Amino acid sequence: MIQYTPINIKTWSRLGSCGAFGIAAMELPEIDENIMITTADLCFYSGLERFRTKYEDRLINVGIAEQNMIGIAAGMAKEGLNVFATTYATFASTRCADQVRVNMGYMQLPIRLVGLTAGLSVGVLGATHMSFEDIAIMRGIPNITIVAPADCTETVKATLAAAKYPGSIYLRLSGTMNCPIVYHDDYHFEIGKAVVLQEGKDIALIANGPMVCKAVEVANMLRDEGIICTVLDMHTIKPLDTDLIKKCLGHKLIITLEEHSVIGGLGGAVAEYLSGMDNHPPLYTVGISDKFVKAASYEYLLEEYGLTVHKIKEQIIKKYNSRGK
Amino acid sequence: MSNKEKYIQAFVETLSIEPEETVGLKYQEIPNWDSVGHMGLVAAIEDAFDIMMDTDDIIEFSSFEKGMEILRKYDVEI
Repeated sequence: MIQYTPINIKTWSRLGSCGAFGIAAMELPEIDENIMITTADLCFYSGLERFRTKYEDRLINVGIAEQNMIGIAAGMAKEGLNVFATTYATFASTRCADQVRVNMGYMQLPIRLVGLTAGLSVGVLGATHMSFEDIAIMRGIPNITIVAPADCTETVKATLAAAKYPGSIYLRLSGTMNCPIVYHDDYHFEIGKAVVLQEGKDIALIANGPMVCKAVEVANMLRDEGIICTVLDMHTIKPLDTDLIKKCLGHKLIITLEEHSVIGGLGGAVAEYLSGMDNHPPLYTVGISDKFVKAASYEYLLEEYGLTVHKIKEQIIKKYNSRGK
Repeated sequence: MSNKEKYIQAFVETLSIEPEETVGLKYQEIPNWDSVGHMGLVAAIEDAFDIMMDTDDIIEFSSFEKGMEILRKYDVEI
């Protein structure tokens, strides 16, 4: 059974989200004897080497054939197996869009689709491997729940929760090895329920994925300037935890932060929710602007897209000070 | 507990081996010292000696003996 000890949490962080998924995967057959995992030639990069060794008959590597992988996973799900499918997030969403839409959305087959290396972390591989439209694509398809864990501890929890989830789910994994730790201890995780990391009154920072850690850092910096922030880990983008967003309506500003396009992701989801109200605080979305950039390191791309802690803080201060003007 | 005992303890607890199996042990020589076990071992050693190892050192940490050599860089004498 998984233990949320300081050393384990540090190990998962060292391994990164893919390795943390692999750790959680080792628990899955204990949860459900019908567990199967399919992967499109990413056994090692999905952290599944140990799983392959121990549960050889539960892992199917379909090769570089992502669309077939979804079809195979759908067939197994239809037969009552509890199926995870892993590939790069960009292939899971763009290449497999039709298979995902029909099998997971329309037929509602409970596949747990794991999108690896979402966001900018594989920037050195270029635009073909980076994924910053995946949430937008998945959000547009009915009947698919979308979860983007904040760190490796949450990745472990989300993986275990996904195995028990009744419907289709897209698990978006991002960040690099040595992933910053948000959760240093065990905590309550529930799909569809955001986590309040800090409570404030001035600005509500609603984040997911690797931006949660940055939101906490920014909130701490803003506190030194007398601006007290609420920080929410909105790990589930669909369905959105609107109860917690409602509690932010008394703030002066709402900011969403995500390592995803500013179009169609968390910011879009919050904007759609707020658009149904007569009055709400101004909303500002921090994310990846609507453009492709050249292949580069993760750190370079974060800087280029204005997603470093200092650049985020600058954007927020500017917006905060220009309210009502 | 001496530094050597702490060092051996990290191997024993992380890789589920006996203390006498540590000497001469090399990375990937046993199933538990795979890439996942390696990161667990690094985390346990960092915790035991209150250090943070550089990425290059983590990659070069290829055996029980090499680990002791690397730890000297962090002022940990074993």
